[in-house]
Amino acid sequence: MAHKQVDSLVDHLFRHKAGEMVAILARHVGVRHLDLVEDVVQEALARAMRDWPFKGIPSDPSAWLYQVARNAALDTIRRRATRARSQDDVVDLLYTRLATEGDRPFAAEIADDQLRMIFVACHPAIPAPARVALTLKTVGGFGVGEIARAFLVPEATVAQRLVRAKRLIADQALPYAVPGPDELAERLNSVVDVLYLMFNEGYGASAGEDLIRFDLCAEAVRLAEIVATHPVTETPETCALVALMRFQGARVPARQNADGELLLLPEQDRARWDRDWIERGLSFLDRSAGGDVLTRLHLEAGIAACHAVAPDYASTDWTTIARHYAALVTLDASPVLVLNQAVAVAELDGAQAGLAIAQRVADAPALRDYYLLPATLGELHRRLGHNAEAAAAFERALALSRAEPVRRFIKKRLVEVSEREPLGVDNA
Amino acid sequence: MAQFMMLLNVSGQAPAGSPEEMQEILKRYGDWSRKLGESGKLVNGAKLADDRGRLLRNEGSRVVVDGPFSETKEMIGGFFIVEAENYDAAAEVAKTCPHLELGGTIELRQVDNM
Repeated sequence: MAHKQVDSLVDHLFRHKAGEMVAILARHVGVRHLDLVEDVVQEALARAMRDWPFKGIPSDPSAWLYQVARNAALDTIRRRATRARSQDDVVDLLYTRLATEGDRPFAAEIADDQLRMIFVACHPAIPAPARVALTLKTVGGFGVGEIARAFLVPEATVAQRLVRAKRLIADQALPYAVPGPDELAERLNSVVDVLYLMFNEGYGASAGEDLIRFDLCAEAVRLAEIVATHPVTETPETCALVALMRFQGARVPARQNADGELLLLPEQDRARWDRDWIERGLSFLDRSAGGDVLTRLHLEAGIAACHAVAPDYASTDWTTIARHYAALVTLDASPVLVLNQAVAVAELDGAQAGLAIAQRVADAPALRDYYLLPATLGELHRRLGHNAEAAAAFERALALSRAEPVRRFIKKRLVEVSEREPLGVDNA
Repeated sequence: MAQFMMLLNVSGQAPAGSPEEMQEILKRYGDWSRKLGESGKLVNGAKLADDRGRLLRNEGSRVVVDGPFSETKEMIGGFFIVEAENYDAAAEVAKTCPHLELGGTIELRQVDNM
């Protein structure tokens, strides 16, 4: 009896294959028919789910899925053409193109199609919140429910954003192409922004119990590497993006203890940092130095690299980090960056120096609802023994934070400063 | 040792799910049939075509063939043949099949080898 087992599927195979198949078929069928494409891909996966429990997995699951999806696309196109009783040239053309296509595309073609899909999904014409959702749905192979859970928005909202985005792609006839040289830089910026946002949402999870939605981080890195390794889009900036993500992502296994409590850099067990991710980050950091541009991402990646290579917290290169932050602040005077600069300076020159910088942005309107502002102020006051100020700041931070592990962390700090003698000694 | 046929009924519509969820479901079936295979209880299994097939009956002097039945609420998706002492033991095997948790039903029939 030949009964192969369904136990050897690579992790996330379906998700990744769904993304690939959508990208490939969108080229053949036309990206304006994204719904059709998504339907047939879904059909192929559902068919696998019906067949494989009994038949076992095919020797080449990817080829099997692609053939089924392609045949489903052909069926759908043929049915539509018949129903419309039209001699629609376009349908004929699509049909011919798809029917004569080889059984499966080469890896380089897949990469080209995925890049095209990424550029469409991140097109500036699409509203910003829909870009991340559309990227995750199409190239990422995420389900609507998964996107909704990752971003803590109702499923209906995600579904609606996707519907509108797809309609917009059709209405504005957005091209399924990698942009030409005249608009490449601007369009690539949009792609970098979307992937950066995707990663940060996974990394900094703005609410809920699940502090680190690592799937989002991993997906952002995967897509960023598709971009950064493609000849057209391998730029210093895209390489810096991958480096940054790899360094940050390497720390994920150490960011929470067994009870799900948040651990700060000094408290993390660095043996648990992912060495492979760090190595990969360093290799992309090397490649990012290829040009003569120094972008915000380079500086951020440089900072992350300083942390990643420090054997312990005490030997962190704070001088370089503080210098990078100083440069970052001149590029982009965002109060968030100033706040981070304050943290670095506090490590380098003491809590008092850090506090002086943090207080520059204490009233910044952009940070009004940002829990890390009062949390940082609280921490610096705590180190200086200003217990009353620290307690007040931690109270504010608590009121602003939604992620449970973060809240537990702040509560712990709050108890610490509240239990101290009112006239606490300076233990900075 | 007796043999039992497990007929797995599925509702006509495949459950919607994300690719990740579908792979997870497949993995559960895979884990289940692998364990069963390792225990030596699994004799055979096969997928049936996605329709309800044909129904033949004698009507007067001729054989009538009904079908294909495309509008199916429930159909047999496939079957496994397992070895077990008796119905109770076979039912214990069937109960471990992820198919039940996923909303399907299983029909158990003893193969008459007498």
